[in-house]
Amino acid sequence: MTDELRQRLARIDPASGQPPLSEKQRNELLERIMSTPVTEPTPDRTGRTWTVAVAAVAVLVLAVAGGMGLFGGADNPPVATDSPLELNAGEEDPMAMCIVFSTEELERVAEIAFEGTVTSTEGARVALAVDTWFRGGDVTTVVLNAPQGMEALIGGIPFDVGSQYLITAQDGTVNYCGFSGPSTPDLRAAFEEAFA
Amino acid sequence: MSDERGRLFEDIAQEVFEPLRRYLSRRSSPADADDLLADVMLTVWRRFDDAPSGRELAWCYGIAKRVLANHRRSQSRHLRLVQRLAAEPRQEFTPDPADFGPDPELATALASLSERDRELLQLWAWEQLEPREIAFVLEISVNAATLRLGRAKKRLADSLAGQNSEGTGHKSGEGIQEPL
Repeated sequence: MTDELRQRLARIDPASGQPPLSEKQRNELLERIMSTPVTEPTPDRTGRTWTVAVAAVAVLVLAVAGGMGLFGGADNPPVATDSPLELNAGEEDPMAMCIVFSTEELERVAEIAFEGTVTSTEGARVALAVDTWFRGGDVTTVVLNAPQGMEALIGGIPFDVGSQYLITAQDGTVNYCGFSGPSTPDLRAAFEEAFA
Repeated sequence: MSDERGRLFEDIAQEVFEPLRRYLSRRSSPADADDLLADVMLTVWRRFDDAPSGRELAWCYGIAKRVLANHRRSQSRHLRLVQRLAAEPRQEFTPDPADFGPDPELATALASLSERDRELLQLWAWEQLEPREIAFVLEISVNAATLRLGRAKKRLADSLAGQNSEGTGHKSGEGIQEPL
């Protein structure tokens, strides 16, 4: 049955009839790539801003401390950059963005999900040591930055040094509306189920 | 750049080039697929020293997945801006069953699944990966990949069964309607 399903799915593979790239095209592409310096500096995205429609201004800064440097190429995703990534948000009604909490929604809205312990709060910046990655990275430190003040972080949830929080983010912006918050048994169970 | 490094890259490229191209063309528009492939191969070129021996293709799929996710985020941001300007409802990219031709029932059932289920099934059936390789690509445990794949198959079977009962008015013994 399983093999039958696999074969049946393979028959609707839209790429099954795709002709390979010509040798000339392939070689040109590979030659161009191989002429690129391996150590070319990672593009600095600091200062680039993306405006998204949430009101709780949250800036997620990921400090890379490990293997996510793997993806430090020209199109490195937000979680994989060596330099701070600052994403600004906050133009519209926050309530307009709230959706009913469920583990399915939690899974859907989270490109990044982790549990971390607050190690410091300095001004509008909160540093967390990551205890568990559920999705999207393997850095050891995440810094949240709320330019408009601490109260803007994650829907006004206060951060206390030494306390644990469960955080999700999308497009580099922290999700609130219950999708991030202090680590409680219920929220942790939801994370474990959503990212099993 | 050492010749040795170049030769090693060419060996890897030989193995992964077309599978990656198919992977990307399945998940993006034809116009974007080759550009994305260039991005993926560039990252492979820069980082292949880190590729785990014997798992190079799965490692490359992991890179392709991230490049694709980045591309989609970029598209999504652009789309949100355009739609805000146009005041039109948001539209997500979903496969068009008509694109799959030979088996529209299955294509419709596949399109009805969540993106996560589709991705699992596509990695399994189109990229022909086993759960341990799927786990590597998706950065999850083998156990989680196995469980999720099983659930995705079940949901696909359920969707097909639902179509058959709606479409024909009687139970069909064909296809994959039994629990998997």
